[in-house]
Amino acid sequence: MARRSASARLTARPSRLIRRPAATAIAATLALLASACAEQAPSGEPAAEPVKGGTLVVAISEDPELLNPAVTTSGAAHTASELLYNGLVGLNAQGEPQPELAESWQVDDDGARYTFQLRDDVTWHDGEPFTSNDVKFAFEEVLLKYHSRTQASLGEALAAIETPDEHTVVFTFDQPYGSLLQQLDVTEAPIVAKHVYQGGDPLEHPANTKPIGTGPFTLERYQPDAEIRFAANENYFKEDLPYLDTVVMRVIPDDANQVVALESGEVQWLWGVPGPDLERLRADGRFEFLETGVNPGGTNCIMTVTFNLDRPIFTDVDTRRAIAHALDRQQYLDRVQFGQGKVAEAPISSGISFAHAENLDDMPVHDPARAEQLLDAAGWVREGDGTRVANGVDGVKDGTPLAFDFLHYPNFADYGELFRAQLRAIGAEVELRPLESTVFVEKVFTERDFDTNVISYCNGTDPEIGVKRMYLSSNIGPVPFSNAAGYRNPEVDRLFDEARTTIGDDERKAAYQRLQEAIVADLPYVWLVETTSTRVFPKRCGGFSHSGHFAEAAYCGTS
Amino acid sequence: MSWGYAVRRIAQLIPTVAAILLASFLLIHLAPGDPVLALAGEHGDAEYYEFMRDKFGLDQPLHEQLLTYAGNVLTADFGVSYVRGRPVLDVVLERLPATLLLTGAALLLSTVAGLLAGVFTATRRSRVPDLTVSGVLLTLYAAPVFWLGQLAILALALGAGWFPVQGMSTAGSDATGLANAADVAHHLALPAIVLASQEIAAVGRLTRVGLRDELDSDHVRMARAKGLAEATVVVKYGLRRALAPVVTVIGGRVGHLVAGAVIVEVVFGWPGLGRLLVTSTQSRDVPIVLGIFLLVAVTVVVANVITDLCYAWLDPRVRYR
Repeated sequence: MARRSASARLTARPSRLIRRPAATAIAATLALLASACAEQAPSGEPAAEPVKGGTLVVAISEDPELLNPAVTTSGAAHTASELLYNGLVGLNAQGEPQPELAESWQVDDDGARYTFQLRDDVTWHDGEPFTSNDVKFAFEEVLLKYHSRTQASLGEALAAIETPDEHTVVFTFDQPYGSLLQQLDVTEAPIVAKHVYQGGDPLEHPANTKPIGTGPFTLERYQPDAEIRFAANENYFKEDLPYLDTVVMRVIPDDANQVVALESGEVQWLWGVPGPDLERLRADGRFEFLETGVNPGGTNCIMTVTFNLDRPIFTDVDTRRAIAHALDRQQYLDRVQFGQGKVAEAPISSGISFAHAENLDDMPVHDPARAEQLLDAAGWVREGDGTRVANGVDGVKDGTPLAFDFLHYPNFADYGELFRAQLRAIGAEVELRPLESTVFVEKVFTERDFDTNVISYCNGTDPEIGVKRMYLSSNIGPVPFSNAAGYRNPEVDRLFDEARTTIGDDERKAAYQRLQEAIVADLPYVWLVETTSTRVFPKRCGGFSHSGHFAEAAYCGTS
Repeated sequence: MSWGYAVRRIAQLIPTVAAILLASFLLIHLAPGDPVLALAGEHGDAEYYEFMRDKFGLDQPLHEQLLTYAGNVLTADFGVSYVRGRPVLDVVLERLPATLLLTGAALLLSTVAGLLAGVFTATRRSRVPDLTVSGVLLTLYAAPVFWLGQLAILALALGAGWFPVQGMSTAGSDATGLANAADVAHHLALPAIVLASQEIAAVGRLTRVGLRDELDSDHVRMARAKGLAEATVVVKYGLRRALAPVVTVIGGRVGHLVAGAVIVEVVFGWPGLGRLLVTSTQSRDVPIVLGIFLLVAVTVVVANVITDLCYAWLDPRVRYR
């Protein structure tokens, strides 16, 4: 791709020791390139030419509640606040690190030491200069305490953050740490100002509603539950950006009403559209679409069925495999997602291309006949009315029916209905239990009182962020969205450690391939669909990107 | 109306509000769902939860939390939102005007339109206009608010283009003064009509029944026999006496309007308390939920007291024995 070759040409300052993904290392000094063209590639067909000025009205579903992305992982807060901030690095549409607040970096000691060279031309929205002290402060006092994801993934691994001078930051790890660069974007690690947050409680700080950032837009006005208005940051460090003068976010809680507001011209950007409305909007002819798995609230998400492995009926892997064979995953994609996404082919999302496994032989395909065979062999025999009961199943009393519950969020009810229908065909009875999110989390992760469930597990931009947590035997327990299955396999634990400390593209991919083969052999989960959402905007607008800086290079023409 | 009645009726406010506060505190704390888990979202570890529980005092026994909370409320300290990190009073007060405007407009509209509809139908018995208006009232009374709201948006906002689809003002508008008031009124019209629709029907039906009874009574026949104008007969001799039960209903309907506002605010993207209550309940933001419960409880209880006082004024026979 053009951008990669350009970056190779521009590399002026070779690092002493560069082993991490080649593209990353080469990207080290492409500061100049980062400006105008870096973020605007993936907006479908650019129907309009970039124009300076104008207003974009964006529909958001929830009030952000606070405009500080460093103290929360809430999707609503991140959607509304990421335009105000920057990370040390950005991630392009392929998930590769790009210079942002850091103009270059080098990786030493086999990945245990990262040195970042910061830009010297960045100022905060209040005019104060941005320095390495801000980075150290943002991590130590804010991110590693309050950003639950960064705290969980980096907290233990990180040994120290040093600032040898105003424009240099050094991250040191006890062991090689391969995935730091994927965790430094504005979603995972937005940098907040030391002079603003110093000495106060970051959670209750007044700056959370009067934010001072470095990002492409500044906050002009925040009216809770109504609208948030942003103005272009005239001193933004990326030259010529942003194009828009104003971005207005309108809180419109009802999905159907968001679509109507787009059709009536009151808004120009939807983050997602309900499936049934999508066809109508496509037929309308006035709109452009951008389908993506990247979301401020969670990236590369897979709808995943969990087996509670502590329940005797699921101890036998053949029973789990039978259930997996009964599920027609294409139907979830077609009927529930209305085609938004793709059938999952591996435990790790295809959105993390360097870790996603290919050609997994043990990945179960839709095969009801095979499912019936496996259940028969496992000792689940059909009764006269078609339901199966135990007859010689290990650890299960004879006569126990093959019946279990299925916990889900109310908005995943369609997944439940389909699941029940597909399993009834092989003689299993499913009881659906829709639960509101807070109750669901308590039932599944604190009380572990469930047989099966469905969860949208978001993998993030690196397996360290959102994959490992589902499988580590040390991560079963009261933590939300941890290892729901109660899966314990020392070999898999070891493989995760190995993958994390492995440096180098090919080696890392091989390590993750082995790991996914081991997981698929055990089937603690069934991976149904990699979901995407579809952004919609009028044809006169363009230049959008997937990430939190979606409007950094966006524009809207008049026609 | 005697002063003793008024004083005793007002004094009853205090135990009522205290009981509501206690009930809602227990309700939200005993409901399943943990605010810290909700706050953590997808991630976090045991250390993070402990830190947050300690921070919000959630590690204390429930009765101590209740005592602390009750003590704070007495000093007008309603606590700090878990999610927003801002004082509850600030968060609630900045959304209160929007809800007051919406429910106030709906209350006014339902009272005026309901009375008019009631008088109209009561004075045209068994004729086509009566049947038509009564039919419309019955339909409005039966229609769920969220459905009516979506229909109104599709037909009147997107279809006819008479009203904006959502919000309280035009996006990014800087209008002030009269221009702003006109803009807000334009945005208010549709949600207020939708919210008022059931109440119009309720008030209209009740007025119709009451007024019709009165118009059949002897004193009205007497007034007619004296040759008074029909309008005077209806308003002065009929309506005044028929109003007492209607006033009672209007007071009681304040609670219904607040409940309906929760839905209407979501459908129309109206930035009021109802939506705050929904999202705060979902995230178990206990201080906010309790703050809103308290506010709504006080409002409804006070509205009922005012109703009773009006009733006593309309009908002097009402008093404590």
